[in-house]
Amino acid sequence: MAEELKATVRHRGNLAIIDLKGDVTIFAEDAISKAYREASAKSPKRIALNFARSEYINSAGIAVIINVVTEARKNYGDTFIVGLTPHFQKIFKMVGLAQYAQILDAEEEIPIYSQSES
Amino acid sequence: MIDVTKRTVELYIPSELGFEKIAMASASAVAQRMGFPAERIEDLKTAISEACINAIEYGSEFDVSTAVLVILNLSNEELEINVVDQGKKEFTGENIEPGARENRRGWGIFLIKNLMDEVEFSKAPGGGNQIRMVIHLEKKDRP
Repeated sequence: MAEELKATVRHRGNLAIIDLKGDVTIFAEDAISKAYREASAKSPKRIALNFARSEYINSAGIAVIINVVTEARKNYGDTFIVGLTPHFQKIFKMVGLAQYAQILDAEEEIPIYSQSES
Repeated sequence: MIDVTKRTVELYIPSELGFEKIAMASASAVAQRMGFPAERIEDLKTAISEACINAIEYGSEFDVSTAVLVILNLSNEELEINVVDQGKKEFTGENIEPGARENRRGWGIFLIKNLMDEVEFSKAPGGGNQIRMVIHLEKKDRP
């Protein structure tokens, strides 16, 4: 019934991007935490969560994201959330996630801070 | 868009996480036929999903042998949704707030209250918990 979440990590210069594919629910907690640890292992300066391939996000998933984003914010400073539909952008702002992360439409909107991030 | 003076759709879903998506899809199809704009349908999908998850977690305590009842009452002015559970654990809607970030159910109730036009928590006639939600159809979208 639920589409299992797959979380994979990419690095673009000093930016780590966690791509999420599938349902962001309580069952996604392990996959997201594991991906966050993998992203952290390369000591990035910034972290982004990409929801472009996640269509279903519920409150339990939001709680998981809040925990990861507050942790990332504490450890890395700039944190980004990209790829959300307008509805989930509204929801994420409603629950206060905009205090901890910049919510942008697409990955391409993440500002490039260094030459190595091309 | 259809003219609905008064019609009802009833749906039973198993008390198992994931089946809330069936209720979401059904409510979405009904709301689309009634003429709700896409943005409001997304609000409805999130609210009904959270109400069903709440019923599965609290009212049925994940007992898959039980069901959650979802009733959609259609009229020309609004869509009323009732989500009724087994009432294994009492739920008033007032006892969970999103004070703590890890409070998952708190966020669910918070979202329901913020996305729907009317929300009411009560005891169902059969003894379970009941969440009644209403979403109004704006005049310009009515048949």
